Amino acid sequence: MNLDEELIAALRREAAPENFAAGVLAKTTLAKTPSSRARDWAFRRPAIFALAAVLILALVLPSAIYEYRRQQRGREARDQLIAALSITRVQLQQVQEKIRRNTRHRI
Amino acid sequence: MDFTGIVTDNQSMVFSIAVRFLRDREGAAELAQDVFLQLYEKLSWIESPAHATAWLRRAICHRCIDETRKRRLRPRVGLDAVPEPATESRNPDLLLNERLRRMVAELPESARMVVLLRYQEDLDPMDIAGMLNMPIGTVKSHLHRSLAIMRGRLEKQEICK
Repeated sequence: MNLDEELIAALRREAAPENFAAGVLAKTTLAKTPSSRARDWAFRRPAIFALAAVLILALVLPSAIYEYRRQQRGREARDQLIAALSITRVQLQQVQEKIRRNTRHRI
Repeated sequence: MDFTGIVTDNQSMVFSIAVRFLRDREGAAELAQDVFLQLYEKLSWIESPAHATAWLRRAICHRCIDETRKRRLRPRVGLDAVPEPATESRNPDLLLNERLRRMVAELPESARMVVLLRYQEDLDPMDIAGMLNMPIGTVKSHLHRSLAIMRGRLEKQEICK
C-alpha cells in the first residue's frame, strides 16, 4: 500500500455545506467594511477632536492660571515697595527739614 | 475585489481544512465563515485572488490551532468525533479513507496541520514552513514521524484483523 497516495485520496477536499456561502454573505451585511469604518471615523472625528481639546485645556489651564497669579503677586509686591519707598522719601524729607530748622536756630 | 467570487472559489478549501482538523462539521463551518468575515474586513488590503487564497489558508490554519487549544479548556464534542459503530463497510476504500482521516485527526496539532497541508493542499514543506512559522526541518520531521505512526497503526490493525 502506498500511504502517500492513500492519504491524498482520504484527505481530498470536500464541498462546503450547501448554505455556507449564503451564510457568509449574509453575515457580511453586519460586518464592518473598511469604508464603513471610514464612515464611523468621520462621525467620531469631531467628538475625538473635542475630547483632545478638553484634555489639552485641562493640562495647560492650571499652569496658565498659576503663572498669571504669580505675575499678579509680583506686580502687587512691586506696587507695595514703591508705596513704601515714597512714604520713606516723604518722611526723610520731613526729618531733613527739621534738622535744617534746628541748625538755623542755633546759629 | 469580488468577495462573492473569493467565497465561492475558496469555501471548499477553507471548510475542508477546518473539518479535517477539528472533526466537527458544525464547528468547522462556523470557524470557516468567521475566517471569511475576517477577510471581508481586510478586503481593501487584498491584492489578487491568489493573495486571498493564501491569506485564507494561513488564517484557517492558525484559527484551527487556536480553536483546538480553546477546546482543550472547554471540550466540545462534534458528531464526527463520536466513534462509528463497528460494522464492516461494503467499500474497503471508504473504510480505509475514514481510518486514515481518524488517524490524522488523532495526531498532535502541529503534526496534524502539517499533514493536512501536505496531502490535502499539496503544499511542499517549504511553503508549509512559511505558513506555520516553523523551521523546515520541523515540518519534515513532523511529516516523517506522522507517516511512521500511521503506517505502524495500520499494520497493527491489519495484524489484529
